[in-house]
Amino acid sequence: MKYMIMMFGGLGAATQDRSPEWIAGMHELLMKLDTELKESGECVASESLADPGQARTVRFTGGAPVPTDGPFAEVKESLAGYWIVDAQEERALQIASRVVAYTEYPMEVRPIMDHSAQP
Amino acid sequence: MTGQHQIEDLLRELAPRVLAMLVRRYGQFDACEDAVQEGLLAAALQWPGQGVPERPQSWLLTVAGRALVDSWRADSARRRRETAAALDPAGHTLAADLAISHAADLAGADRDDTLALLFLCCHPALSQPSQLALTLRAVGGLTTAQIAAAFLVPEATIAKRIVRAKQAVRDAGARFELPDQPQRTERLGVVMHVLYLIFNEGYTTSSGPALLRTDLTAEAIRLTRLLHRLLPDEVEVAGLLALMLLTDARRAARTDADGRIVPLADQQRDRWDAAAIAEGQAILIQTLGTGPVGPYQLQAAIAALHDEASTAEATDWPQILALYDVLTSVAPGPVVTLSRAVAVAYVHGPRAGLALLGTLDADDRMAHTHRLEAVRAHLLEQAGDTTTARNSYLTAAKMTASLPERRYLELRAARLHQPPPTSGPAGRLAFRDRTRMRHGQPADPANLTSQVLPGGRENTPWAPQNSWLCTVMT
Repeated sequence: MKYMIMMFGGLGAATQDRSPEWIAGMHELLMKLDTELKESGECVASESLADPGQARTVRFTGGAPVPTDGPFAEVKESLAGYWIVDAQEERALQIASRVVAYTEYPMEVRPIMDHSAQP
Repeated sequence: MTGQHQIEDLLRELAPRVLAMLVRRYGQFDACEDAVQEGLLAAALQWPGQGVPERPQSWLLTVAGRALVDSWRADSARRRRETAAALDPAGHTLAADLAISHAADLAGADRDDTLALLFLCCHPALSQPSQLALTLRAVGGLTTAQIAAAFLVPEATIAKRIVRAKQAVRDAGARFELPDQPQRTERLGVVMHVLYLIFNEGYTTSSGPALLRTDLTAEAIRLTRLLHRLLPDEVEVAGLLALMLLTDARRAARTDADGRIVPLADQQRDRWDAAAIAEGQAILIQTLGTGPVGPYQLQAAIAALHDEASTAEATDWPQILALYDVLTSVAPGPVVTLSRAVAVAYVHGPRAGLALLGTLDADDRMAHTHRLEAVRAHLLEQAGDTTTARNSYLTAAKMTASLPERRYLELRAARLHQPPPTSGPAGRLAFRDRTRMRHGQPADPANLTSQVLPGGRENTPWAPQNSWLCTVMT
């Protein structure tokens, strides 16, 4: 089963008042984990998204799609980055826990739909 | 392993020549390009085991030629008639054609062919991503998979991009020939720009997952070297090659062991590639002044000045500023102004640099890049205005699309900020406690700290002074 492990935009805002050591530690943890997951073959894909301030949202306004500045969700709920791992749920939760243990900021783990039909 | 690399190098060198011969003989650039790819794959499979054939170019030409005929046979009836027309009436067999091509090659006639191929791949009708992908495949001899790995996109994306690129070549009625003057100068500009973009793609993302990437920087240098060999009198081609060599020479020092950006001023200069610097300097010395000076030569000269300084303090900033003044008159633009502001700051002080940056605020071309804000942050910090500098670093961090740059800028911002005593060390303590609880064993604080901060404080990028992002990118 594949799982998406999601980080949210609020993390960026929460780190602004942290010390350089704390921020360096977080970068370190994320890079180390990313390398580990790629080397173990568990990582299917991983990306970090640009700041939600760079987002534009296309809304259906006045009978037509209109792009507006800003993310769809609140900044703190906006997706900031993700790993897609091919692993057991327990393992996916373990990966998220390693990050949350450090950042103290919540992450979401959700199964990815399978394209094949169930027998 | 060396054998494998030698074979790869040889194949990449042969690829454009063989492709050019097929296209010259049969037209149909796209079919020929596919056929050459098949030939390259066959060679990559067979040569390592069976050894490189005595005449590798003829071998590749024969196999690619056969693949071309096979593709025609497999195609529609219309294609079959074309095959017949191509092969029969003149009494030519493919083998005879190949023999002629081989003779032509020995006479050195493939020089213009490779050039024509480059001009074709960098045809103005193609989108920029298509130009890059097609150039790397048709002239660089890279496979679709290698190109995809280099750009970190799925293979199918590059495959489609190449199909579209070849379609655009066909639709534009692009001919396999050297453009006439004065068009040729303009088209050469596009070719150089494509090579420059390939280089930049490799250079600016070199801190990515390096294990998976084909080295775009080396490939750009190889192709520019080829172009320089074909057009030795074009001074800007020489300038471009020198610029790449002098810039790439600093690559090993640009990031630390953990992939973090190290600004130019803080780089370990003994890690710079002395041979590449010497080669770049030599090319520059040979060509500067032999023709009208252009932007690539000027940027190369600036890069050379950085490379020649044994320490950051020894950098000849007045001369660099003078070169930026010339560059401003030859090729003005916001990016040049941005770089010039850094030189101005070093020569006349940070406030003078900031004043020049102020002239870019109204420039729409700068509105969507983080560079302006990043340079401003460094200059503000230099001027001692830490509060404003911190805000500028944070703004730049939010604007950049590069992860290593974002991390670098976040750290610069954090360095200028004294956090309330509870948020820093306490967070780490909590982490330690939880780790200990989860694993049910006592955590060694020193060990955990080294896991979190492996480089130790002295290696972290917030320690250095006098480092300006703009000069990192030069």
